Amino acid sequence: MAQALAVETQGLTKRYGTGVLAVNDLNLAIRSGEVYGFLGPSGAGKTTTLRMLSGLLHPTSGSATVAGARPGSSASLSRLGAMVETPAFYPYLSGRDNLRVMARYCGFSVDRIDPVLEQVDLAQRSRHKFKTYSTGMKQRLGVAAALLKDPQLLILDEPTSGLDPQGTVEMRALIAEIKKEGRTVMLSSHLLNEVELTCDRVGVIAKGKLVAEGTVDELRARSGSSTLLIRATPIERAQQLLTELVGADKIRLTEGQFHLTVDPSQAASLNRRLVADGLDVSELRASEQSLEDVFLQLTETGGHQG
Amino acid sequence: MIASFRAEILKMRKRWANWVLLGVLLVVLVLLGYVLSYVILKNPPKGFRSEVPASTLLKEIFPENLIPNVLAGMGTIGAAIMIILGGLNTASEYSWVTVQTILIQKPGRLAVLFGKLLALALASLLISIAVLGIAALTSYILATVDGANGAWPAADVLLRGFAALWLQLLVWTMFGMFLGLAFRSTAAAIGGGLTYLFVIESLVGGLFRNTTGLKEVLKFLPGLNAGGINATFPFTFRNPNAAATVLVSATRGTITLVIYLLLFMILAALIFRRRDVGA
Repeated sequence: MAQALAVETQGLTKRYGTGVLAVNDLNLAIRSGEVYGFLGPSGAGKTTTLRMLSGLLHPTSGSATVAGARPGSSASLSRLGAMVETPAFYPYLSGRDNLRVMARYCGFSVDRIDPVLEQVDLAQRSRHKFKTYSTGMKQRLGVAAALLKDPQLLILDEPTSGLDPQGTVEMRALIAEIKKEGRTVMLSSHLLNEVELTCDRVGVIAKGKLVAEGTVDELRARSGSSTLLIRATPIERAQQLLTELVGADKIRLTEGQFHLTVDPSQAASLNRRLVADGLDVSELRASEQSLEDVFLQLTETGGHQG
Repeated sequence: MIASFRAEILKMRKRWANWVLLGVLLVVLVLLGYVLSYVILKNPPKGFRSEVPASTLLKEIFPENLIPNVLAGMGTIGAAIMIILGGLNTASEYSWVTVQTILIQKPGRLAVLFGKLLALALASLLISIAVLGIAALTSYILATVDGANGAWPAADVLLRGFAALWLQLLVWTMFGMFLGLAFRSTAAAIGGGLTYLFVIESLVGGLFRNTTGLKEVLKFLPGLNAGGINATFPFTFRNPNAAATVLVSATRGTITLVIYLLLFMILAALIFRRRDVGA
């Protein structure tokens, strides 16, 4: 049975015995069938949240529904495939035998093992011991184990962590393929381009709190300010004039290019002044803020923009 | 629970360390419990002094004394190996972080735990069978080589002896399992378990079993309760050298061991059900 929401949390909070408040009053709503990026800097509370959603950690307060049931219950786990933090398997067993163990835990036949090994491109090495696997192969086995249950919802914690560029591209393709199969994917990451390329919607967490949620474009729009890029020579005179016009705090010079944090509608007037002062303007355009800028802004300000 | 049990059996069967433990146990049993005794008692060294002649002591390793000889041997080496087995197969899940992987499969936490307990119980049953089988075979071979009377104990003695052996090995396995869960570290579980066995049970239990006051405390130790059960399987000859004070009756010993068995399982379930994983 498909749920309208694959994951829903209300006031989810985790305070560790040491007093550290890892997750604070978190409210998430992940729709069925979407790839949801859970974005945040290291230590923001991403993995703690995923552990609570997988039933590994008991929340201090608040509640969650995962795949239509309480996290950690058999009903929830039977519809959930998860890889939280590092893929952990028995080093003395082969990849295939590790999947056999997982299939037995789930009470499934071993018939699904070959298809999922093919899907993650691990069939050739499946009879080798897990301890001989590279980081990328371990990650792929983790995804294979998560897919073994034919789950409605996949929770993947930093799935490209430790992968080389080729492995990263392959993992992204795999996630796209999983989405095509109609599954919901919740993907945590601190890699912005990964989230930008893979996810339908993004939630940004900082210091245990959700500070923003929406599509990448919505987040960019929400951040408000834009940048104007100007290339003008001579650079010293251009810098002096621009400082007089917009203020030094709004100008950043990198590789001969001025980045002005101003309303792009000022482009024409700035251009007139620069040309009138005898400067050569070779480039002048509005620049969309990168997701990185948005992310830094959100996580540093806790989501409150002026 | 059956699904978890099947998964546990696969893991245990494929793990070489478990087979090595079984091999060590059987080799030590055969060499120290039978072959070495046979060699020494057939050719007693100069200065060998015993109230019982070596030729009589030799009966210790013949089939008629299969049960008391096996139970005596398993009290220390058997207990040690089973503590290691229990500790290894639970604490490793934490050192490899695989506890996290199995807890996000389908079964609930208690089903996972009881699947593991059932698998360990089966392992201790099979080890008990292997121990008794190898001991019986070695004993028979040595008796045949010696040309001695190869009489076997009565069937009811064999059955009760086997049950006593399994109960004792099972208690030590569950002790190791409990330590593995409590410490979440293989080294701490095995180190703690063996230290308890050799220092508290063997050393303190051996030295102070006749000390008034302390004796009452010792009556609660699992090893000394196992001794109470073992005392109901005497050797076919009287050996004053080996006579040790028996602190508890066989009935009390059996009840105490069953209580320990349940206690270790209940405590393990309480810890495993509530404790955060990966915190």
